[in-house]
Parts: sequence; C-alpha cells; structure tokens
Amino acid sequence: MAVLIVDDSARSPSQTNLLTQSGLRVYSHVMFGQTVAIARNTFREAVRDRVLYNLIVFALLLIGSAIFIGELSAGQEIKIVVDLGLSAMLLFGVFIAIFVGVGLVYKETERRTLYVILSKPISREQFLVGKYLGLNLTLLVNVVVMGLGVMAALLYVRHGWDALAFSIWPAILLIYFELLIVTAVALLFSSFSSPALSALLSFFIFLIGHFSSDLKTLADTGTSLPTRWLFRGLYYALPHLSNFSAITATAHGVTPDKRAIAGALIYGIFYVAVLLSAAGLVFRRRNFK
Amino acid sequence: MTPRMKTDLLLAILLVICLSGAVGASRWLDHHDHDSANRFAEEQLYLSGRTARRLTLAFNGVAADWYWMRSLQYVGRKIVKFEDEHDGRFELNDLSSLDLRLLASLLDVTTTLDPQFIPAYEYGALILPEVSPDQAVVLLNKGIAANPNSSRLYQHLGYIYWQRKDYARASEVYAAGAKLPGAPAWMTAMAARMKAEGGSRAAAREMYQRLYESSDDASVKEMVQHHLMRLDSLDDRDEIKQRLNDYRAQFGRCPASWQEAAVVLRGTRLRIDTAGGAPVDPSGVPYRLVNGGCDVDLDESSKVAR
Repeated sequence: MAVLIVDDSARSPSQTNLLTQSGLRVYSHVMFGQTVAIARNTFREAVRDRVLYNLIVFALLLIGSAIFIGELSAGQEIKIVVDLGLSAMLLFGVFIAIFVGVGLVYKETERRTLYVILSKPISREQFLVGKYLGLNLTLLVNVVVMGLGVMAALLYVRHGWDALAFSIWPAILLIYFELLIVTAVALLFSSFSSPALSALLSFFIFLIGHFSSDLKTLADTGTSLPTRWLFRGLYYALPHLSNFSAITATAHGVTPDKRAIAGALIYGIFYVAVLLSAAGLVFRRRNFK
Repeated sequence: MTPRMKTDLLLAILLVICLSGAVGASRWLDHHDHDSANRFAEEQLYLSGRTARRLTLAFNGVAADWYWMRSLQYVGRKIVKFEDEHDGRFELNDLSSLDLRLLASLLDVTTTLDPQFIPAYEYGALILPEVSPDQAVVLLNKGIAANPNSSRLYQHLGYIYWQRKDYARASEVYAAGAKLPGAPAWMTAMAARMKAEGGSRAAAREMYQRLYESSDDASVKEMVQHHLMRLDSLDDRDEIKQRLNDYRAQFGRCPASWQEAAVVLRGTRLRIDTAGGAPVDPSGVPYRLVNGGCDVDLDESSKVAR
C-alpha cells in the first residue's frame, strides 16, 4: 500500500496526475499479483486434497461405457458416450463446486490462516476473488481433462475420427460456465453460513436453477399482482441454469447456436459478478474477532 | 502373534464370513423371490415422461439412454423367456405373443426425455404395431411433431398405416413426407403406389426394401430381412405350385418326389438343392411336398416366417 502514499504538495497538478496514474498501475499490479497468489494456493490445496482424483472415477466410467454400452444400446453408443461423459462432467463438477466451494472460507477461518492473510495488505474481496479463481482453475483442469477423455472414448467407439470429438466443446464450455455460477453460489453461502447448510442451500439453488422456466410460467399465469411480482422477482434473482444445458442436443450432433452460447456466457459473467459482489458485501461485514 | 495382528485377523475373517453370508442371502432371494418380482414387473412405470423430464434436470439425455436400454432389455428378456417356454423357437413377426404391455410407456418416457431420439421412434414403429397399433401411431405422431423435418419418421408412420391396411392414410403420410427437404425421391412414388395397389406383394416388397436401406440398426435390418425372406418364399411357392399344376396337367397325377418334379422345375429362377433335387427356400432349407405332392410348404426347420 506504501506505493500509494504520495506527497502531492510540492508537485504540479500534471506531475501529481502522472505519479497517481503510475501509482495506480503499480497498485493494480500488486493487487492482481496477490489475488493470483491466493488463486494459485487454492488450486494447490485442491490438488493436495486429491480433488482431481475424481478424474480416475470418470476415466473408469468412460472406459466402461465405451466398451460395454455397445452391447446394450443397439447402435447408439456414440450418443450414450457423449450423454454419459458430459453428464458425468457436470455432476462431478457440481459436487466439486459445492463441496469444495463451501469450504473455501470456512477452512481458512477454522485453521485461523484467514487472520494471517487478512493482517497483510490484502482486502477481504481480494481474498474471496482469489479463492474463487483458484477453484475455477481446478474446475477448468477437471473439465478439460474430462473433455479430452470423452474425445478419446468417442474415437475408440468410432474406431477413427468422429466430428463429435470437436463439436462437444461448445457444450463443455457451457458446462464450465454453469459450474462457475454454482461455485459463486457456494462461495456466497459459505461467506456467512456453515459448510453443511451452505452445501444444502447451494444444491437447492442448482435444482431450482434448472426449474427457472417454471417460475416464469408462474409469474405469467399468477392470479394476483403480488404473486406475479413475487415469482417474477424470484425468476430474475435465481440463476437460469437451463441456459447452459446443451448435452442432449450435442449428443445428437447439434451444436448450440453461437448467439445462444454468447448470450449464456454473458449472462453467466453478469450473474457471477452479482454473486461475488454480494459475497464481498457479506464478507466485509463479518466479524472475525 | 501380537494382539493387534490378532484383531486384524479376526476382522478379516469376520469380513469374509459376512460377505459370504450376504452373497448367500442374495442368491437365496434371487431364487425364491420370483413370484413377487414377476407380480410387479409388469406394473406401470412410476414416472410419466413429463415428470421424469422435470426431475432429471440437465441429465435428461443420459436418463433417455437409460430408458432406451431398458426398452431393449424389456423386449430381449421377453424373447428369452418365450424361447425358454417354447423350445427355443421365436418368430420375429409374432411379437404379439410376447405381451409387451410396458414397451409403449418405456418408449414414451424415452422420447419425452429426449424428443430428438429418432432410433427410439423407429424401434417403436417396428415393434409396437404388433402390440398396439394405436400406441404406435401416437408415438410416431409425437416424433413427427418434435422432428417435423425427419422424413424417416413419415416413412415409418406410413409403414404402420400400411400394416393396418389403411392405404389411403399411408399414401397421405408418404406424400407429406415426400415434400420435406432432403426426403428421398421414392417417397413420392410410394405415395402413388399405396393409393393404387397398397395391398399388393410388390408394394410390401418395396416397403421392406426401403426400410432396409434407410435403417442403420442391425436388429431392424434383420427383422426386415425376415419379412423380405417371407415375401420371396411366397413368390417361390406360387411358382412351384404353378409348376406342380403343369406336372399334373402333363402326367395326370402329382409328383411323388422332387426328383420326379425336376422336369417341370428346370429352367425356373428357383434355387435347387443339389442333393435331393428340391427347391430351397430363402433360408436355404428345402421345401417339402404336401397333399400327395400336389402342393408345397415350408419345412419345419425353415427359418422363413409362415
């Protein structure tokens, strides 16, 4: 923070402006470096906690399905490998996002390492964002390795090249963004609640997020104005996770429309920003004494 | 042996004994609980397609795959059971004897979970008409509503109407399918043929040949091949009967054996068994003379459907 303490009295306005600008640049650089350091440590911790071991289960599942499903599916093994691979990717990802996400803040407070971190010139928001990015990196590695696994399984089942090996990636990108939202939800709850309750609430949000269209229907068909407003409010407040579901279409070789993907990604970025801001607001007010 | 090792050994022995007990109990249950299992096996599904779709969140594709495999296994199990009870003989064109009452529900759930799952509609189109033609029509209409550009579904719906001898409807469906972009050109001709000679053997042959060409499914192809073999055999038997009539007209009696009938069978398109001189059916089994040599029939061991 020392870089920002600048005595402006003996300098001209232009000099002061230049110094403030360069100071801000240095400050941003330092802030970014600190956040990245937290993210990197969170990733390392996840690896140490054997979070990525789920990849072994995933690999076994894919190998099993690639070898045996052909016997049971009457020629539909390609579809089933994609359905199973991408669904498992989402399911495992959601479990990691929720169960690791709810422990991000809790573990640091339990071990009292949070006090050490916050005693340094690191803001609470930076800490949250760093933790969030670290878990996102873990999920990214997870999703990319799983995606490569699905590709390999497809090539094995087809005994050669298959166009689906490439066209699964837009659906994987959407799955990743869905996981980013679930992680942000878990982080928000974990900033003020116990891990068990946070996990439960996050899981409920994941479920409700896939029923968001029903809330809209209720809002449109409600008999009274307050009811319609209540459901409309809930519809916009809760995440629309069905926007990120492209698994079934992808299994039929239908790649989601580029505009739909772009819309979903923009929505995801806005929604994550909202959740992280809310988490920051709550976390700022928490008393750790 | 240290006390710790003794405890470890005791626990290991306990584990093995309990595991054996669990396996034994499970095997006993498998052998003695058939009645209750069978009683509930044919109960309607717990979940409707719509409920299943809502409950499966983003996992509807994998759930559809699960119901698809259940449908296949359901039919497979019924065939195995039928074969066990009838000395291993099952005719693919006699699906009505299998009592496949759950199949329509299973395929309905499959296609509600994944409305673009074309193979499930095609499977229903081939199997369900033998079980419940109305449910087959409902399934195919549902498929067409969800996949309006799939000419293959129109082809299958036309096939169902043709099986029901509703040639006018079959013609309408083929005509509608023929208008779709990418629809095969023969669908227009088939629409006209259904209208003009829907009940003819030639129309049936073309119907099955088109089904054979358009399907990627090995089991569908096998089933269609059986139908084609039956049509070929009907043609064979018509020709043989004609030749036997010629023989009677020429010699004043029916032939006592295939060797005797050889004079009239020469020069026909029929395949003749070199050992006995009998014409062979499309499955390679010689036909047999019946009614004192005045008529012909399939042999008991023939794989051609009757």
